[in-house]
Amino acid sequence: MPHLAVSDVFAKYGKLEVLHGISFDVERGEVVSLVGPSGSGKSTVLRTLVGLTPVTGGHVDVDGTSIDYHSARAIKAARDRMAIVFQQFNLFQNMTVLRNVTLAPTKIKGRPKAEVEAEAIELLSLVGLADKRDAYPDELSGGQQQRVAIARALALKPEILLLDEVTSALDPELVNEVLDTVRRLAGEGMTMLLVSHEMSFVREVSNKVIFMDKGRVVESGPPGQIFDAPTSDRARDFFGKILRG
Amino acid sequence: MNYNFQFNVVWRNFDALLEGAWLTFQLGVFAFTAGLFVGLICAALKTYGPWPVRLLVNVYVVFITNTPALIQIYFLYFGLPDLGIRWSNEACVLIGLTLNAGAYLTMILRAGFLSVRTAEMEAGETLGMSLIQRIRYIVVPHIAKSIYPALANFFIVILVMGTSVGALIGVDELTGQAINLSSVNYRWLEYFTVTAGLYVVLTFVASLGLALVGRWAFRVRARIF
Repeated sequence: MPHLAVSDVFAKYGKLEVLHGISFDVERGEVVSLVGPSGSGKSTVLRTLVGLTPVTGGHVDVDGTSIDYHSARAIKAARDRMAIVFQQFNLFQNMTVLRNVTLAPTKIKGRPKAEVEAEAIELLSLVGLADKRDAYPDELSGGQQQRVAIARALALKPEILLLDEVTSALDPELVNEVLDTVRRLAGEGMTMLLVSHEMSFVREVSNKVIFMDKGRVVESGPPGQIFDAPTSDRARDFFGKILRG
Repeated sequence: MNYNFQFNVVWRNFDALLEGAWLTFQLGVFAFTAGLFVGLICAALKTYGPWPVRLLVNVYVVFITNTPALIQIYFLYFGLPDLGIRWSNEACVLIGLTLNAGAYLTMILRAGFLSVRTAEMEAGETLGMSLIQRIRYIVVPHIAKSIYPALANFFIVILVMGTSVGALIGVDELTGQAINLSSVNYRWLEYFTVTAGLYVVLTFVASLGLALVGRWAFRVRARIF
C-alpha cells in the first residue's frame, strides 16, 4: 500500500481550475519530485495536500485512509501527518528560532516544554543551527532561515515531508546547505514529496520524478528515464531547454 | 498687563490636584486597556468575520468615530436614565471612553491585522493552529511590535484628551479638580498653568513607561520625545 496515494485530484483557485485530475503514488521512505514549467500546478499539489487550496474532486489516501478535505478535523489530522516547508520559509518573524520550532508542539499539541525544547535543539543541530537558537529570523541568512523552517516542520514528527521549492529563494551559494539537509533526511528514510527546479539534485535524490504541465501529470518514472529518455514531446521540449542551458 | 501671579493658593491645594492627576491616570489606563480588548475583538471580527458581523463592526466604528466623545458620554449620563439605566458619573466616563477608544483602536489594530504576512498565517495553519491560535500567537505579537508606536500615541490621546471630558459631568479628574479649585478663589491662570504642567509630566511618565515596555517586550525602539 502506498504511503501517499493521490487519485484524480482536482483543485481550484477561486474559479480557476489549476489541477485537472492528478494521480500519483508515493511509497514509504521514497523521495518523489514534481517538476515542470511554472504554472503547471506543482506547488498547488502540495498546497492541496495540506488543505491550503480546496480540493474539488478526487481523493487523497495516507496509508490507505482517505482524507476528507471538507472536514476541518480531517484536515487537521492530515496536517499532523504531512508537514510543508515553503519557498519563502514563512518563519514567524517575531519569535526566536527556538520558539519558531517549539511553538506548535508545546502550544498546539500541548506537549511538555522541556521535552520539546530538547528535541528542538536536536533538530536544530541536525540542520546545523544549534548555536542560532536565540536569534530572530531577520538576523539569519536565507539558507539558515530555510533550515529553521525544515526543523520547525520536523518538530511535529510528520510522516511525510512536503518541500515546496525550498531553494528557489536562496542565493546560489546557500542552496547546498539546504540540499544537504534534505539529502540527510532522505538518507534517514523520510517519505518526501518535493517541488524543485534543481534538476541535478532531483536526479540524485529522487526515486521517482513526476513531470507536470498545465495541471496534469504528463509522465512519471525513475529520474534516469524522465530526464534522459522522456517519451512525451512536452517533457522532451522542457528538459531540452533547461538541461542544455 | 499688571496681573499679580499668586501661586501660593495653588501649592496649598496641590494635593487635591495630584489626586485629580492620579484619577486621570487610572481612567486613562482603564479605558485604554478595556478599549484594547474591544478593539482587538472588533478588528478580528472585521478581518475574519462573516459579512453581517463585519457590517455591525463598521456601524459601531463609524458611529463612534464620527461623533464627539462628549456627546457619547452625555448620551450615557443624561440619556440612559430616561430608559431606566442609571450609572454613576465615573462609570459613564469609563464606559464612554472605553467604547470610544474601542472604535479608534479597532481601526488602528485593523491595520495590524492586514499587515500580517499571509505566509506566516499559512505556516501557522499547516502547523495545526486554529484561527484563534493564529491570532494569539502570530497576529498579536506582530501587532504589538509593528503598530506599538501608534498604540502608545493613542494611549496619550485617551489619557489627556479623553479623560478631561469627565470634568463636564462632575468627575474630579485633573481638569475637573482644576475647575473646582479655581472656581473657589478665581486663580484660573495659576491653576491651569500648573494643571497643564501636570499633564505634561503625566504624559512624559506614561511615554517613558510605554517606551520601556516596548523595548523590553517587543524589541521596539520607541521615541520618547
